[in-house]
Amino acid sequence: MCRRILFVLIAVALVFGIVLSSVAQDKGSVGVVLDVGGRGDLSFNDMGFKGTDKAAADFGLKMVEIQSASAADYLPNVRNAARSGSLDLIISVGFLLTDAVKTVAGEYPNQKFMIIDSVVDAPNVMSIVFKEHEGSALVGALAAMVAAHYGYPNVGAVLGIEIPVLYHFEAGYRFGIDWGNKAYAQKTGTDPKTGLLYTYTGTFSDIAKGKGATEAMLAQGAGLVYNIAGPLGIGDLQAITEAIKAKGKKAGPPFMIGVDANQDWMGDGHRVLASMLKRVDNACYNAVEAVIKGTFKGGLVVMGLDVQGVAISKEPELLAFMEFGIGSGKIGEDDKAEIVANWKSMRAQIPSWIWDAVDDLEKQIISGQISVPNANTLDEMKAVRSKYPLTK
Amino acid sequence: MGFSGNIDELKKTILAGAIGFAAGALIMMLYGYDPISAYQALFNGAFGDLYGFSESLANATPLILTALTFAIGFRGGMFNIGAEGQLYLGALAAVTVSLFHLPSATSFALSLIFAVFAGAIWSLPVAILKATRGVHEVISTIMLNWISQFLAFYLIARILVDPLRAEKTISIAEGVRFPLLVPGTSLSYAIFVSLIAAIIVYLLLWRTVTGFDIRVMGHNPLAATYAGIEKWKIILFVFITGGLTAGLAGAVHVMGRPPTYAIYSGMPSIRGLGFEGLAVAMIGRNHPIGIIIAAIFFGGLLAGGRMMQLFAQVPLEMVRVVEGIVVLFLAIPELIRLFSFLRKIRTPLIFRSKRSSDEDRRRS
Repeated sequence: MCRRILFVLIAVALVFGIVLSSVAQDKGSVGVVLDVGGRGDLSFNDMGFKGTDKAAADFGLKMVEIQSASAADYLPNVRNAARSGSLDLIISVGFLLTDAVKTVAGEYPNQKFMIIDSVVDAPNVMSIVFKEHEGSALVGALAAMVAAHYGYPNVGAVLGIEIPVLYHFEAGYRFGIDWGNKAYAQKTGTDPKTGLLYTYTGTFSDIAKGKGATEAMLAQGAGLVYNIAGPLGIGDLQAITEAIKAKGKKAGPPFMIGVDANQDWMGDGHRVLASMLKRVDNACYNAVEAVIKGTFKGGLVVMGLDVQGVAISKEPELLAFMEFGIGSGKIGEDDKAEIVANWKSMRAQIPSWIWDAVDDLEKQIISGQISVPNANTLDEMKAVRSKYPLTK
Repeated sequence: MGFSGNIDELKKTILAGAIGFAAGALIMMLYGYDPISAYQALFNGAFGDLYGFSESLANATPLILTALTFAIGFRGGMFNIGAEGQLYLGALAAVTVSLFHLPSATSFALSLIFAVFAGAIWSLPVAILKATRGVHEVISTIMLNWISQFLAFYLIARILVDPLRAEKTISIAEGVRFPLLVPGTSLSYAIFVSLIAAIIVYLLLWRTVTGFDIRVMGHNPLAATYAGIEKWKIILFVFITGGLTAGLAGAVHVMGRPPTYAIYSGMPSIRGLGFEGLAVAMIGRNHPIGIIIAAIFFGGLLAGGRMMQLFAQVPLEMVRVVEGIVVLFLAIPELIRLFSFLRKIRTPLIFRSKRSSDEDRRRS
């Protein structure tokens, strides 16, 4: 009797599976090749997925998602995708996929590619890069002023693998901290000389390393920690939450600064002060739209503060991105109101002149009055580091 | 063992594999994925055409070598899991030679030689500790694996780093790479290095006196010592040879794998090759020919798994679950043999140096 039930169940499952897989195949398709670390980072990769998914839904396309288990998979994954011949566009999310896209774009000149965070010089590749240094300058200024306001001597930055893209973040952040120190000195008369504690953890997937690095920085008096390593932010936040609980409080300081997606909702809305938004989702959406509308062109697209390619998080994005959290099961629908309330009170605690100063910096960067330094090589990074040492 | 004995073992392995695939299919169905299209994609991707087969062979190339490391140790009665740490150093040694911009042929030879050397040197402490102090190799190899990993991180980030692309080491110079065997795939001539190594190990273990001594030591250490085979010599030989193949695995991977021919920060592409080699050795029943077949199968599983994502929309996590289940079931026949063998000869996990109580026991 039991065995018969088992057979029936297996047969039903089999039929169910076959039916599910025979969905209409006559739509166009777009492929997304993700980096190691993959989905679930609540930032970089998830945003790439989100933008492509929305575009696929809006334009009636099928989306195929390929995650890379290790760096050895990059080239085979991109090549397999191109070989299939069925994908209208192949989006590669991340700098580490550069070599793979460069090789395969040459092998399949009629296949359209888009790559995020890297430049591949080929007529069939759209390269989308961001001005992370501009956005990071904003959060750096905020961090320095807020740390000084609460009396913390340092701010921190947890980075991932030492790739040129991350140098953009570090360079902008340093400049921003320095600018924030000067702005605070101008307003109050004392230069807080907020210092920077930073470390490259060497990974974009080992969350425990993020937690460990953050704990070390908090122990040295960091008031805010900027996550520049995608999913490691989850670990960073754990460390910050524990530090806050140890003080018997629920809300920061210390705070985290999120990256890529709006991560302000994490930590119940009062532990992540702001996020440096990198609109990877918009980039993916625009690329798919270009292919559909026939306006796809190979070449470089630069997204900066002026086109909202990067931005510091404000309220509208908070609401939109909370859907992320609900979708991944981290928060419930009913938590939304509480989180927004917490967030507003967290931000209200910071004196309004600090927020005004950050807005002012943004205007000056957009208008070109201020030019945020950038770095693409180790030598350039060293030069920025020696210009803004930010050590105590 | 004999040829007919080997056929029996092969049958057991094939049965285990069938059960493994069935279990994988069950899991996929439970989660709503279609196992038929998934397995179709898997087999097509692994062996369906020249492209897929080349990818499988490319994956198999380093696995054959790290599996040999474990297998040689196993045949000698030891549990050498140091391939991981040794292969890191082999890869680093090969990259280091490229720092010096020597003429291509010299560089090529030196890269291989230093890699092999580096792997062997890293296995020396394990061998010496075991031969002189009875330290169990599982402990010493794991510790050395960790040391090797952090040493590798340091070298990759500080000494060997590419000044223009800080996320990787410098690449192996162009003339020093293994040329592609099949253009448009990842397969290079390095596969021949692995195959030749496997054949050499086979000849070593079954056609030389040293190999005979090793196998006797593996079957029954007491009888071997009684027959005059010196344990410390066997230990040294087994670990050094294992280190040679592991170092070679690292070199072959970094010199043969397009498109980067370098080591990335965090070593994502060579991580785990040592331990996967362990699984390959188990599936291949610790015999060089079995290892070749098992490595190609394993490589096929990895190559086909990618196709499962692309064509059957099975997410990466589920692909890895299925891969894991299949590998687990395939390893069971060898695990059974290992456990019953250990029980039979009552090998203590720590082997003690001579004590007076041993003299008493012998006298009575």
